[in-house]
Amino acid sequence: MTSLLDRYRLMARMRAFEDACAEGIRSGELRGELHLAQGQEGIAAGMVDALRPDDWMVSNHRPHLHAIAKGVPLFPLMAEIYEKAVGLAGGKGGHLHLFDPDHRFSTTGIVGSSLPVALGHAYAARLQETDDVAIGITGDGGTNTGQFHETLNMAAIWSLPLVVLVENNEYAISVPASEVIAPPGIAGRAAAYGAWGRRVNGIDVEAFAAAFDEAVAHARSGAGPALLEATCHRFRGHYEGDPDVYRSPAAHAEMAATGDPILIARARLLERAEADESSLDRILREATIEMADLLESVRAAPAPDPANALTDVFARAEP
Amino acid sequence: MTLRANANLSELIAQTMEMEMERDPRTLLIGEDVGYSGGTFGASRRLFRRFGEWRVRDTPISEMGFTGMAVGLAMSGWRPIVEIMFTDFFGVCLEQIYNAVAKNRYMSGGRVAMPITIRAAGGAIGVAAQHSQTLWGMLAHLPGLKVVAPSNPYDYRGMLAAAIEDDDPVVVIEHKGVYLEKISDFALGTTIPEGRYTVPIGQAAVVRPGGDLTIATLSTMVERSLAAAGILAAEGIEAEIVDLRSVVPLDHETVVASVARTGRLLVVDEDYQSFGLSGELVSRTVEALGPSGVRGLRRLAEPDVPIPAAKSLEDEVIPSVAAIARVARELVA
Ligand SMILES: Cc1ncc(C[n+]2csc(CCOP(=O)(O)OP(=O)(O)O)c2C)c(N)n1
Repeated sequence: MTSLLDRYRLMARMRAFEDACAEGIRSGELRGELHLAQGQEGIAAGMVDALRPDDWMVSNHRPHLHAIAKGVPLFPLMAEIYEKAVGLAGGKGGHLHLFDPDHRFSTTGIVGSSLPVALGHAYAARLQETDDVAIGITGDGGTNTGQFHETLNMAAIWSLPLVVLVENNEYAISVPASEVIAPPGIAGRAAAYGAWGRRVNGIDVEAFAAAFDEAVAHARSGAGPALLEATCHRFRGHYEGDPDVYRSPAAHAEMAATGDPILIARARLLERAEADESSLDRILREATIEMADLLESVRAAPAPDPANALTDVFARAEP
Repeated sequence: MTLRANANLSELIAQTMEMEMERDPRTLLIGEDVGYSGGTFGASRRLFRRFGEWRVRDTPISEMGFTGMAVGLAMSGWRPIVEIMFTDFFGVCLEQIYNAVAKNRYMSGGRVAMPITIRAAGGAIGVAAQHSQTLWGMLAHLPGLKVVAPSNPYDYRGMLAAAIEDDDPVVVIEHKGVYLEKISDFALGTTIPEGRYTVPIGQAAVVRPGGDLTIATLSTMVERSLAAAGILAAEGIEAEIVDLRSVVPLDHETVVASVARTGRLLVVDEDYQSFGLSGELVSRTVEALGPSGVRGLRRLAEPDVPIPAAKSLEDEVIPSVAAIARVARELVA
């Protein structure tokens, strides 16, 4: 089992990774809406024990940390985010569309559309009689799409090994979940499908890891789908550049003070005397250096050749 | 209502909806983030405070549900404006759009009206395949929908007002690249009258006269074509530019009249090339003038590939000023 110290390191690296991504927006190297998951590291870092290389993961528009959790190598990952020729898709997908079939990872930028795709992976696992599971990830906003219901219903009637993981960061852009989700909340909907359902505090990496382990074990056992709702905060705006008018400075300060999975893990490590301040600081520093080096090598990589814009539409080059 | 001197396009759009909602109390706006936050690009600012949550509704991410809701609202006598944040998301509500919004009048023998305006942001600004499409060709293929894509502030106001006033469903495709552009920075249509006005849907405009070739285009490609025409003029080639303004109805008469004079047609389209606007316009022109009535025809559209993320790749597939000038030159040569 991954130790809390290791999870702390992983979360620190995840945060530094996304800091390095954000630099591209500030410098103008990256265009478009870059969605960072800072504040949600507890969820991604809590997934690593339960996941196996053969499991499938389908992420949404906030995909970078999920990709790291799934084992996607950092260099081609960041290179794709920076739209480089050596990126996962040679710069065609960009930060919003990350595909790594080798690591059974994919994304969609269309809210809700991740879930039926994960359902397909779960169906395939059943057909192939493996005990692989599929993880479909959505935000709270995505649970209001029809695809959420359709997916869970099908997974339940066919007892498919699907985990629907909902990152409930309270907002869909500016719209609070409390105003657009009818009681009894998200996890409570599992009952409607006779599925396993639970709500867990996603900023507590250990609590999340335990719940995720259980959800995956349930799906892997053949007992049908699991619906895991993890509460968390999104520290940044919806995307880099979002004026974030719907949250007050006080709400931000509160989030930073009490809602940071890294700080919570840190306090616990100190309390249990599993690490001291200086070693924890060193971990943060090392993460920053690692990602700065990574960014430097990504920046040195060439942009895609314009001629490649026309390839890959079909399996074979057009006659 | 006057606009601030340095107002941007999104402000003009918000103010247009405000005027229309004030004029007609049956008009309402529904969509994601249109209310409290005032719209993704600020294109519905102030409306929530002004009209309240029952007329400016922040919805869940349930496009199929709320587009269908607009159908029921329209049948109950309301005039909904539905915002589908990006055109790319039409996929999740297309059922309601093409089977109800577009067909109910016809299927009811004309007895049911669908006064629905669907606003959506289209076009490429570096957000890759799932967030860069315009899709007006796809929508135009469906009988029963009017499809407009303005190019300048004057038309953005006048055509949106006309769409809201229209008793038929109108899809207005705004371009994400220009929401934050200052009105005074556009090449055309920068003078906005104080009072309400409409621009009729289905009338193209000749925005630059010229005798050597006709460039027919719309939305932001109008400005790019004007820039290309400037380059060409310096080389002695005079391009006439027709801003189509709407895809349905498609004012091919204006284009045909122009090509009858210039003899050559170039269609510039920020949409996929095949089975779309460019082919439609070329065939209507040939049908009208006969194969011998035209000396040359070219299309410059997206080369039937999804829009890539990287700038170097995106530039390759979205018509650029240089590409427009190059193809125009080849056509005239
Ligand atoms: C079908 C569809 N509608 C709207 C959007 C625009 N959009 C992108 S992310 C988002 C909010 C998603 O909220 P949530 O699922 O809670 O995820 P979070 O951003 O909070 O992580 C919206 C409305 C989209 N990408 N797809």
